[in-house]
Amino acid sequence: MATSRDDFIIAIRSAFLKKSTQQKFSLLTLVVISISIIILSNLDFKVVRYMKNGINELVYRSSFIISVPENFIKNSFFEIREYSTYFKEFKNIKEDLSQLKSKNVSSEILQYENKELKELINDYVSSSDKVLAKIIVDHDSPFLKSIIINKGSKDNIKIGTNVYDQSYLVGRVIEVNFKTSRVLLLSDLNSNVPVTIAPQNIQAIITGSGNNNAQIKYIKKGFSDEFTNESIVYTSGSGAIFKSGIPIGRVISANDTEAKKFNVEFYSDFSQLKYVFAEVVTKIDIKRNNEEAEASVTNQNPMEAKLKILEDELEIIEESNARFKEENESLKNEINTLGEKITGFQTKISEQNETISQFNIETDELIFLRLNLQYGHKCRKSLFNHKGYTVGTSEYKECVLKRGKIND
Amino acid sequence: MTSLNSRGFYFKFYSLLPIIILFISVLNEFDFNYLNLKYFSFNFPFILIFFFTLKDIKNFDYLLVFLAGLINDTVVGLPLGISSLSFMFICIATSYFRNITIRPNPVKDWFYFLFIISLINSMNYSILTLFFSYNLILMSYLVNTFFTFLFYIIFANLFKYYMKGLDD
Repeated sequence: MATSRDDFIIAIRSAFLKKSTQQKFSLLTLVVISISIIILSNLDFKVVRYMKNGINELVYRSSFIISVPENFIKNSFFEIREYSTYFKEFKNIKEDLSQLKSKNVSSEILQYENKELKELINDYVSSSDKVLAKIIVDHDSPFLKSIIINKGSKDNIKIGTNVYDQSYLVGRVIEVNFKTSRVLLLSDLNSNVPVTIAPQNIQAIITGSGNNNAQIKYIKKGFSDEFTNESIVYTSGSGAIFKSGIPIGRVISANDTEAKKFNVEFYSDFSQLKYVFAEVVTKIDIKRNNEEAEASVTNQNPMEAKLKILEDELEIIEESNARFKEENESLKNEINTLGEKITGFQTKISEQNETISQFNIETDELIFLRLNLQYGHKCRKSLFNHKGYTVGTSEYKECVLKRGKIND
Repeated sequence: MTSLNSRGFYFKFYSLLPIIILFISVLNEFDFNYLNLKYFSFNFPFILIFFFTLKDIKNFDYLLVFLAGLINDTVVGLPLGISSLSFMFICIATSYFRNITIRPNPVKDWFYFLFIISLINSMNYSILTLFFSYNLILMSYLVNTFFTFLFYIIFANLFKYYMKGLDD
């Protein structure tokens, strides 16, 4: 018994401490170093942080290079699979595109409206730039769902930066290095996102399931009865970790029908990500100027401040009065010149009227003379025409104008 | 002279092959996860380290294994040092097993491997959930352990050919 225990101790001691000719360190030393690294890496020392960042940069780049052949084979396999369903997909996409184009216009209007409303609510406007980032490491680990992108603190990426696939949320940055960052995907078990489920307008939190979907958690009992397969999930913005209104996915019922469990199917396929957008947000104050002015006023004596305001008001009123007087004078001058012009025009009009009437008289006379030549003999009183009229009378003129018809 | 030099280079490369594959596998996460089989995964570095430290081959330096662990942590996103500690425990276990074994038996090695990886994965799971508050799926760990155990015998037979080549 004692011998076997001795043997065990000798074997263990040998395993921990014995170095063969090839080994530079004993295993016990390396175990101690490992434990020290675990402890040190969790302490937020500046030196440790820089070292960690350096190691991360180096390892991520190396991993990207090493993964090139595997990624090539993997991507080729996916591309071949895509080509087989290419035509069908093209038709569907074409239909979807025409529908989306029409929807896009209304969504743009909503975006502007939203921006205006946010300006009214907040004292700042958040302008955001989406930075395109390439995924350099994506090993789809079964334990942790994360990706490495080729943008870091150099590109203003910060911890918590939202990451998108087109306009769909895929995760947030949890580790930032100089030129690389680690993004925790929404499918990870450690990812919790406050969401709104529309159209029911139910607030909930979704947690990654470790697969390509998420579970809906923390909702009141009975609320899940209202869910349909049409329900969509988007960020609520609670907690200010994620921006509000970012689409995530749609509600699907889990197979467990008795318990009425619902999952969220992401719009984006995280296993197919190649490029993502990281949203760099900058806050711009919009009320700063007004606030500064207000602050300078309040710093003075209140009575003096009031007087100053009244003086300013008086000055403004006087200035505007002088302006009105000037305007009044110029308007009067304009009225006079216009009156003169009107009288000129009126005389012109009367002259023209006279000419027109003269012209009309002359025209009537001409017509009478022409008819007189033709029908004058029928209307003139003579030996053979007893019914006729004396030349120059109004009856004679009337007869001529009636083309020789004599009134009985 | 030239041929002797080139032969020396090839031999050196051949003898360093396990450690090169170890580094490639930790950098590349060689585990066929993209096949999207539910829970399917296996830990290739565990197989490699267990086999070659058990055989105590030349150039399979503990320090390099330790560095491979650090790289693995960085790639996977685990707290730095966790994988190094796991790899070191495999080395200790194999060193102990080598010391107590008089007549090596592949089946015994295989089941001893199962015991060791179960122990190490349990330790990893406990450390990550208790000290680092990670949410992990226990089933993933169990399935990973099972497939790593299954794949060991296949890879062990392949590595035997390598060992044969090294002896020749």
